[in-house]
Amino acid sequence: MARGVNKAIIVGTLGQDPEMRYTANGSAVANISVATNETWKDKQTGEAQERTEWHRIVMFGKLAEIAQQYLKKGSQAYFEGRIQTRKWQDNSGNDRYSTEIVANEMQMLGGRAGGGGGAPMESGGQSQSKPVPAETAPMDDGFDDIPF
Amino acid sequence: MGRGINKAVIVGTLGKDPEIRYAENGNAVVNISVATNESWKDRETGETQERTEWHRIVLFGTLGEIASQYLKKGSQAYFEGKIKTNKWQDQGGIDRYTTQIVANEMEMLGRRSDAGPGT
Repeated sequence: MARGVNKAIIVGTLGQDPEMRYTANGSAVANISVATNETWKDKQTGEAQERTEWHRIVMFGKLAEIAQQYLKKGSQAYFEGRIQTRKWQDNSGNDRYSTEIVANEMQMLGGRAGGGGGAPMESGGQSQSKPVPAETAPMDDGFDDIPF
Repeated sequence: MGRGINKAVIVGTLGKDPEIRYAENGNAVVNISVATNESWKDRETGETQERTEWHRIVLFGTLGEIASQYLKKGSQAYFEGKIKTNKWQDQGGIDRYTTQIVANEMEMLGRRSDAGPGT
């Protein structure tokens, strides 16, 4: 059987600073949460609608270290990788599934914080210069209980 | 804030026949389960390892109807769409999340009656 293709491309904005941890053998694992927005016009009312999609992205090794060093809440970046669903068990022993994108390519967009370079970010790069919309931010409570 | 890009491309094999249902407005909603395989060589043992990834793919409307008509368990196909995570609550009232790919493009691959979903 053919191996198939499993590819995801995300260009979006970080909702929080990257979370970094290290495996037993010392290699870095960075978890980041990236928002993409989708807009459409409601067919009946004609009003513009917007929906934010949050993506869990994980990076390993050197790429994780670069992400941790240069990306922060509000940063814009390109990610390419594969979709992976992991099975885990919650406190009650129920099977749960978490889907994430394992990125093997990352490109920073919009210039580094504090730098120029045609960035949509404010110079100085304060995280509050790009607030995540309040109604989309609290996905944390759902994802935080995933035992990494 | 930019709108961003949210794109997924899957080429894989159906693990079972498509499941079709209809929304209240009569639109078809088709769920399919597609496998992709990943293989790599274990650095320490040198042995080839393989892992199967299962993707939940949903197609709406005419595309959904075409998928349910022509695809079946073992079919190979190309899907392109966006990643979407749905929030729902289980019987205990706990928030759960399910991620799927909402496909807006589909191409059938191989012959129609190819067998062997092979995991």
